[in-house]
Amino acid sequence: MGKSRAPSLPEEMKGDMTPMIDVVFQLLIFFMLTIKFKTLEGKLSAFLPKDVGVNTSPAVPKEKVEIKLKVEREGTKLDPREDMPWSGTGPYRYGPDRIVKYSIGPKSTTNLKEAASRLRELYLADKEQPATIDPYPGTVYADVVLILDEVLKVGYRDISFVGDRSATAGAKK
Amino acid sequence: MKLSKTDPGGDIAMDMTPMIDVTFQLIIFFMLLMDMSTKELEDLVLPKAANADPDKPNPADRRAVVNITADGRVLVKRDLLYDPKNDDGYVKLKEFLYQKARLMPKAPTEPGGSIMAPDKPILVRADQSTPFKYIQKVMELCGDQQIQIWKIELAAAEVPKDDGSGAAAGGN
Repeated sequence: MGKSRAPSLPEEMKGDMTPMIDVVFQLLIFFMLTIKFKTLEGKLSAFLPKDVGVNTSPAVPKEKVEIKLKVEREGTKLDPREDMPWSGTGPYRYGPDRIVKYSIGPKSTTNLKEAASRLRELYLADKEQPATIDPYPGTVYADVVLILDEVLKVGYRDISFVGDRSATAGAKK
Repeated sequence: MKLSKTDPGGDIAMDMTPMIDVTFQLIIFFMLLMDMSTKELEDLVLPKAANADPDKPNPADRRAVVNITADGRVLVKRDLLYDPKNDDGYVKLKEFLYQKARLMPKAPTEPGGSIMAPDKPILVRADQSTPFKYIQKVMELCGDQQIQIWKIELAAAEVPKDDGSGAAAGGN
């Protein structure tokens, strides 16, 4: 009688883990170095004209504080992150020689602090008055954020914007 | 001589499994974090604003973030919705805003008012040197009869509290 052979068990395989661990660590270092955490950001709230749709309630005329922004001098373009001249390509920022004129009612100034104190006077006279920012062609986002920041600091909460003048001018032609 | 019972010269096999597990978890964490943190926000240089409210959006709101580069390109979640070089009349952006407005809860624009409009804001992020006409165009589209988004937030870089009082100024 033949003796049946017991099936041989496979030997325990031991893979070399070193290359995998190397790759995994390389990946980890790559992600740690390239990750960009969300930078500290803020927001300035404003509103767009809400007279859309059908409104059955009678309109109450409301006086507004109108702030007109006009660029008097464009200023030198600088590198956005360093105090170096702009390379000629990509984004840029304007240097301190940029002049923006703020016209608030009949008064105009190129000094932001003066504009802020004028706004404060008007706000103290009527705290419910809405403010409208009217940026003329040539103004950039930073110009508007700068004055919007002051308007909010003074205390105005109902702030709206005037539409693009260049588009209207183009349509009239 | 008396020999110690433990053999110090033997091959010690270390169990690598927990370390590999932790490393993989870390990689997955960084991969997800990188995706979430940069998908909505383009690399823009924002102007500084001392009185900006800290931006802490509620993820459940699914707020729309519109990025506008210095050359006027409009990007939403890395998708190019408008390029001034290939002017499509803002068709894609208008469609995006329309879809967003449709999903927003509606509320009267004034207490007791009859005008119902989307009650959530959109965040506009633009480079500090972006001509404002591009932002005005986005605002104009928001005010469209079919969209009617009237709450808008303009993104700005926060000025650290210990940065002094004059740090908010940009150009002038």
